[in-house]
Amino acid sequence: MSTINPDLGFKRKLTRLSGSQLNQCMQCGNCSAVCSLAPTERPFPRKEMIWSGWGLKDKLMGNVDIWLCHQCGDCSTYCPRDVKPADVISAIRQTSYQHYARPLFLGKLVSNPVWLPLAIAIPVVVIIAILFLAGTFKIPPGPVDYSAFFPHGLLNGTFSAITLFFYLLASFGIGRFWKDMKIQTPPGEAGRKRLPVFRVLREILSHSNFSGCGSRTPGKVAHLLLFFGFTLLIMVTLYAIWATVTHHYPLPITNPFKILGNLASVMIFSGLGIMTWQRLFNKSVFGKSAYTDWLILAAIALLTLSGTLVQLARFGDWSIAYHLYFFHLVAVWFVIMYMPFTKLGHIFYRTTALLYARSIGRK
Amino acid sequence: MMEAGEIHMALAVCSGCDIGQAIDIDKLTDAASEAKEGLSCIKHNTLCSEAGLAELKRLVLEKGVDRLAVAACSPRVMSREFEMDGVQVERINLREQVAWVMEPGQEDTQMCAEDQTRMVLAKLDTIKDGTPYIPDQLSSDILVVGGGIAGLSSALGGARAGYRVHLVERSARLGGYAGRIYKMLPDSENAATLKEPDLHDTVKELEEHPGVEVYLETSIKSISGEPGNFIVSLENSRVSELQVGAVVSATGWKPYNTEKLAPLGYGSERVKTLEEFEQFVQKEQIPDRILFILCAGSRDENHLAYCSSYCCSAALKQALYVRELNPHAEVYIIYRDIRTTGFQEEFYKMVQADDAILMTKGVIESVSDQGDAVKVIVSESLLDDRVCINADLVVLATGMVPNTTSDLQLQYRLGKGLPEIEYDFSDSHFICFPYETRRTGIFAAGTVRAPMDMELSREDGAGAMMKAIQCIESVKRGEAVHPRAGDISWPELYMERCTDCKRCTEECPFGSYDETEKGTPLPNPARCRRCGICIGSCPERVIGFADFNINSVSAMIKAVHVPDEFEEKPRILVFVCENDAYPALDTAGINRLQYSPFVRIIPVRCLGSINKVWISDALSHGYDGILQIGCKPGDDYQCHFIHGSELTEQRGVNLKETLETMMLEPERIQTRFVEITEHREIQEIINEYVEEMELIGPNPFKSM
Amino acid sequence: MGDDQTRNTISETDTLNLPILIIGGGISGITSAVELAEAGQEVVLIEKENYLGGNVSHFNNYFPKLCPPSCGLEINYQRIRSNPRISYYTGASLKNICGTDGDFMVNIQLKPRLINNSCTSCGKCAEVCPEERPAKLGRTAGEKAAFINNGLAFPMKYCIDPEVCKREACARCLEVCDYNAIQLDASPAEVGIQAGKIIVATGWNLYNATLIENYRYSEESDVVTNVEFERMLAACTREKIKLTRPSDGLTPRRIAFVQCAGSRDINHLPYCSAVCCSASLKHALTLEAEYPEIDAEIFYIDMRLSGRNEKLLKQAEEKERITLTKGKVGRILPGDEEKGLVLEVEDISSGCKRKDTYDMVVLAMGLTPTPVAAGLKVNEYGFYLPDQPSGMIPTASCKRPMDVSSSVKDATASALKAMQR
Repeated sequence: MSTINPDLGFKRKLTRLSGSQLNQCMQCGNCSAVCSLAPTERPFPRKEMIWSGWGLKDKLMGNVDIWLCHQCGDCSTYCPRDVKPADVISAIRQTSYQHYARPLFLGKLVSNPVWLPLAIAIPVVVIIAILFLAGTFKIPPGPVDYSAFFPHGLLNGTFSAITLFFYLLASFGIGRFWKDMKIQTPPGEAGRKRLPVFRVLREILSHSNFSGCGSRTPGKVAHLLLFFGFTLLIMVTLYAIWATVTHHYPLPITNPFKILGNLASVMIFSGLGIMTWQRLFNKSVFGKSAYTDWLILAAIALLTLSGTLVQLARFGDWSIAYHLYFFHLVAVWFVIMYMPFTKLGHIFYRTTALLYARSIGRK
Repeated sequence: MMEAGEIHMALAVCSGCDIGQAIDIDKLTDAASEAKEGLSCIKHNTLCSEAGLAELKRLVLEKGVDRLAVAACSPRVMSREFEMDGVQVERINLREQVAWVMEPGQEDTQMCAEDQTRMVLAKLDTIKDGTPYIPDQLSSDILVVGGGIAGLSSALGGARAGYRVHLVERSARLGGYAGRIYKMLPDSENAATLKEPDLHDTVKELEEHPGVEVYLETSIKSISGEPGNFIVSLENSRVSELQVGAVVSATGWKPYNTEKLAPLGYGSERVKTLEEFEQFVQKEQIPDRILFILCAGSRDENHLAYCSSYCCSAALKQALYVRELNPHAEVYIIYRDIRTTGFQEEFYKMVQADDAILMTKGVIESVSDQGDAVKVIVSESLLDDRVCINADLVVLATGMVPNTTSDLQLQYRLGKGLPEIEYDFSDSHFICFPYETRRTGIFAAGTVRAPMDMELSREDGAGAMMKAIQCIESVKRGEAVHPRAGDISWPELYMERCTDCKRCTEECPFGSYDETEKGTPLPNPARCRRCGICIGSCPERVIGFADFNINSVSAMIKAVHVPDEFEEKPRILVFVCENDAYPALDTAGINRLQYSPFVRIIPVRCLGSINKVWISDALSHGYDGILQIGCKPGDDYQCHFIHGSELTEQRGVNLKETLETMMLEPERIQTRFVEITEHREIQEIINEYVEEMELIGPNPFKSM
Repeated sequence: MGDDQTRNTISETDTLNLPILIIGGGISGITSAVELAEAGQEVVLIEKENYLGGNVSHFNNYFPKLCPPSCGLEINYQRIRSNPRISYYTGASLKNICGTDGDFMVNIQLKPRLINNSCTSCGKCAEVCPEERPAKLGRTAGEKAAFINNGLAFPMKYCIDPEVCKREACARCLEVCDYNAIQLDASPAEVGIQAGKIIVATGWNLYNATLIENYRYSEESDVVTNVEFERMLAACTREKIKLTRPSDGLTPRRIAFVQCAGSRDINHLPYCSAVCCSASLKHALTLEAEYPEIDAEIFYIDMRLSGRNEKLLKQAEEKERITLTKGKVGRILPGDEEKGLVLEVEDISSGCKRKDTYDMVVLAMGLTPTPVAAGLKVNEYGFYLPDQPSGMIPTASCKRPMDVSSSVKDATASALKAMQR
C-alpha cells in the first residue's frame, strides 16, 4: 500500500507544460482504448492522467509507458473532455528529461526563455576561449579555409570531448531512469529476458511504432526524414573526421559523401518543415508545443542552415564565411550540449525504455 | 307511449367491418327480440357513418329509448360517436371479439354473437341510472404539510392558480433544509457560480399572498373525511380545525442515521456529515486537507440500498466553497460513480476546473483518526490497488431518508400515513402516474416521495398541487379520479344485510372504508377509485355500483344459452379485466388471431371485483369452465388497482377447495395474467384453456 | 371533438376561458392535457405525427418495472376519450404563433392522412395495398403504405404513407373501402386556434449516430441505436418472435451496450443524457429474462441511476449473463473475416485493454431537443429554457433530458403553471 502525497506544484507544472486542463479528466479510459500502442496489461495513458491529476511525481518519473507513446494524438482527438492526454504524456517526458539529466542547471536554462541568452552564451564563450587559447581567434587572410580558423585536429578533439562528456553525464541519468523503471514496472512472472537490442533497433529503424497511429501520418514521414537525415549526417561527419586525418580535406562538391551530406540537409529541412507546419496549423492533432520544443527545433534548423551556408561560403569565398562558421559551431555545440535536456533526449530515454519494456515483455 | 318508470330498450346492429359476413344479422336481431320483449332493433351497414348515426338518433327519439345496446365494434373505438344524452349505452363487441376472431358463417360464431348480445341486453335490464356522489360539504381549500422547498413551491403554485392554501410547518420557520444551507448549486441563468440561498423571495411572496395561510410550529392532530371534505385538526394553532378538499404532504427528509456510520469514522471530531459540514463552514476555520467520501451509507444493502441522488452534486458544491473559503485547501473526493446527470455534467466540469480538487473512484476500506490526521485507506482506487490518504477532515456524503408521513395522522383504518412502496418512500408504483399514493386526494411531494435535489423538489411540489386541484374539481363533478377518471358510478351498500365481516374495509386498496368499533363499514365514496374490489370481497353481496353489480353480472352469466352436454359445445366464461386484458383481446382481433367460439366474455373493472357468487352462478348454469384474465401481480405488479390480481389468486385457492367439495375439477377455474401488448399470448391462453376443458369434459351440473 | 377534427376555433370569447394549447402529443403532452381537462380546463392537443403517444408508444418496456408503456398510454387514451374538454389534432404541425401570453393565436397545418375520418379501422386498405414501407429497424416487416401504428394506436384510424403510396396510379384501396374513407387527393388544411396558455411538450430526438465515426454506425448494420433496439424488442414482444440481428437474421449470442455514445463528450453532446444508463440496464435485464441465449455486456464511464432505479444495477450485478465493465468504448471495428464486431476498450477495474468480439452493438445514444418552435429561448444545447419571456411553458424532455416518470411529473407541474392566469 502506498501513501498518496499529492504534489500540486508538480501537477501545475504538467498543466503548464501541456496546456491541458488535465484536472478535467473523468477517467473514462477512451484514451487507452483508442491508443494503438498501449499494451494489453495496464495500458496507458488513462492511468498516467490520474497520476498527473493527483501530482504523483514518483509514479510518473520512472514510467516506461510514456516512452512507448509516439505522440500520434489519437487519444487527444477522441478525448471526450478534451484534456489532451498526448500533450500531458509529452509534458511528463519533458519533465523527465530535466529530472534525470545532469547538471540540473543546464535543464533550467533551456526550459525558460528568460535564460536563453545565458544558454547561448555558454557555447559562444567556450568556443571563443578555445580559439583564443589556440591563438586562431581572428579572421585568416586569403581564400576561405576553415581549418585556418579552427584547426581540424583541435575541432575534432574538442567537439568529440564535449560530446563524450555530456553523454557520459546523460548516461548516469539513464542509469537512474533504468532503476526507477524497475521499481515502477517490475518484471512480471516471466522475468526479464536478455536485452532485445536487435529487436528494438529494428523497431526504431522501421518506425513500426508510428504505423499504428491513425491521426498523424505526416508525423511519421517527418520523423523518418529527420531520423535518417541525422543518421546520414553522423556518418558523413565520421567520414569527414577520418578524411581530415587521411585525405585531403575539405572534400570536393562531387565527393559522394559531400553529396550525401547535402542530401541529409535536404531531408532534415523537409522534416523540420513538416513538423513546423503541423505544430503551427494542426494543433488539435499535434497538441501544444512547449517552448523547449520550439527551441530545439530552431537550433536544429539553424544548425542545418548554417552548415549549408558555411559550405556555400567556402565555394563562393564569401567574406562572412568565418562568421557563419562560428555561428555553425555554436549551433552544433548547443545541440550536443542541451540534447539530453530537450525533446531530443528521447533518443536516449525512448531507446532505453523500449529496451526495458521489450525485455519484460511489455508491448 | 311508454309509462313512466318503464324502460325502453333498443338494439342497433352494425353489419360493416366483416360483421355482416361473419354473422347472420337477421337471426341475431330475432334472437335478441326473443330474449327481450319490446326491443326495438335497427340494422345498418355502417352504423358509425353519418347516415347510420342519424338513423340511430331518430330511433332513440321516436321510441324514447333510454337503454341502447350497440352491437358493432369495441367500446374502445368510436366512443364519443355513440354517446347520447340521457341514454345508457352499452356496446357489444361483435367486431374485435367475434367477427374478426372466429370462423365466419359458422353456427358457433353465430351462437357466440347471439349470446354476447343477450348478455348485454340482460345487463341493460338490470343496471340503474347512476347519480354522481358529491359530498355535502365541499371545500376547495388545499392543505400543504411541510414548509420546505417542495411545500413552498406547492403552496405558492396553488395560490397563484386561485386556490386557498393552508401551509402547516412543524418548526418555527419556513424553508426546511434549503433554508439552512450555506450555498446552493448554480442555476441555469448563472451557471458559473454557486448561488446564495434564495428562498427569501419565495417565502416573502408566500407570506404576502392573500390566498395562503401559514401555520408555524403547528402539527396535525388528525385528518379525517374524504376528498372535497377533509377535516383537519391542528395542534398548537390559532385555528383548531380546517376543512380542506385535498392534501399535499411535503414533509421532506432527514440525513441517514450517523450511528451506523462508525465504520466510516463517524464519531471522531474530524469526521462530519454533509449536513454538519454545511453548518461547520458557516462557523469554523476550514483545515487544509478535506476528504469527501461519497455514497456514505447509500447504494449499500446494509445501509440504504438506493441512490440518494443529491449527494454527488452537494459534495461537489461543498468542495468548491471549501476552496473559496480556504485557498490553501486541497480537496480529495472518493466516489463510486459521479452522478451529475443531465446538465449537471457542466457543474462537474466546473468543479474540476479547480486543480486542487482531486477525485478518484475507490472503495473505502477504513477511516481512522490518528490524532494529527485522519487516515483513509482506499482500495480498488484508480491511483493504485490500495492506497492511504491522509486528511485533516473527512466529510461523509450521507444519504437521504424520508420523513414519515404518519405525521399526517390520517384517520384511515389502513394507517396514519401514506403507503410506502420501497425504502420508506411514499412514491407511486406507476411510472406513468407518479402521483399515485393510494390515498385519493392526498399527494406526496418532494423528498418524502423520492430522493431528489432542490430543483426537482420545486417541480414536484407544483405537480402534486396540480393533482390536488384536479382531485377537488373531479369531486365537485362527482367523478372518479385516475384511473377511471370521469366515472360517476360509486359503490352503494345495502347495510341491512351487512354482517360487519370487515372484508371490504380490509381489501379496499385505497382505504375508502372506515369502520365503526363494531366493524361496520363506513364508506367514503369520494375516496373510491371505482375498482369494485369491494364487490368481489363481500360474501353477503351487499355492495354494488349502479351499472356494475352482483345482479347485472349474474344476469349476463345467465343470459347465455348453454347447450346440453351431448352437443359437445362447451361454454367457457371469460372474465376479462378492462384495463389491459380487454385491449389485448381487441388487438388480437385487429390482428385476426383466431380463438375458440365457445368463450363468452364479460369485462370487469378489475379481476378483484369478481364475486364468488358469479362463479357458482356460472357453474350451476352449466358453463364448463371459468377463465379470469387480468393484469400481472407480484412485486412489479401491473394491476391498476394495486392488488386486485393478487386477491384473485388468493381467492382462487379458496375456490379450488369449494370446487373439490362440489366434486368438480379445480382446473375448471383458472386465472391468467397478461400484459397489454401480449395479444398473441391471450389467444394462446384462451385456446389452450378451451382444449383443456374439452379434455376434462362437460360440467356435470349442465343437465341438472 | 376528438376523432373528427372539426372543432371550430373559439372567437370573441372571454380570454380567461380560452383553452390551453399543448404542442406535442407524446406522453408529456398527453399528461398535461388530461391533468388540465380533469381539473376542468378546456384543452387542445396537437401532435405532428398521425398518432398520439410519441416515442414511448413504440417502446417495449419502461424501467424500473419493465412494464409496457402502452398500458399507461391506454389509460390516458381512455381519459381523453371520456373527457369532453379535450380536443386534439394529429398530423398537425405548427405554422406560427402570434399574440401574447393570455391570448395567443396559433396557426397549425394539418397534413393529409389520405384516409379521412370515416375510417372504421377495418384494415381492408392495408390488405390490398401493394406498396410496402421501407423496412426500418423495429418496424414490422412488410408494413404497407396503408397502415396503422399498432393494435393500440390512438386514434384507431388507418393512414397512408404519402412517401410510398402511388396514389391514383394504384388506387386499389379506393376500390375496397366500403366507407368512402380513402382520399388520395386530400390536400393540407389550416386551422387557427386561439389559446390562453401554451404548453410546449415537443420532446426529444436521438443524437445522430452517424456523427460518431469511430463507432461505425453507418458502415455496420449490427451497430444499432438504443431506440432502434427498443423497437426491435417491442416488435419481438408484439409478434412473439425471436430477436435477430440485422445483418444476417441470426440470433445474436453476445450483445454489447456502449454507454455515453455521444453524451458527456465535448466532440458531441457535452451534457449527460440522464436516461441511457437505466435504459441499457433495462435492455440487459430484458434480455436476461426473455432471451436466455444472449449475454449482455455494458460499457460505461459512470453508472448513473437515480433513487430507486439503483436496484436495476443491483439486479444486473447479480445476473450471470450480464457483465458491467467500466470503460468507455474507444472504437468499434469489423471482426475478422467479416464476422461480428470488435470493441476496443480499457476495462478500467481489471486494468486491461480488451478487444473482444460481439454479435451486435447497441449504442446508448444521447438525447437532443427537438428543433426550436418559433419564439422560444433555448440554452446553449438547444433545449428550451424553463422560463420563457413569451409566457409559453416548455415541459419535460424538450427542457432537459429526462426519463418518462420525470417527464410525466414535469408535465403535471407545467399544467399547474398553465392554470395560473
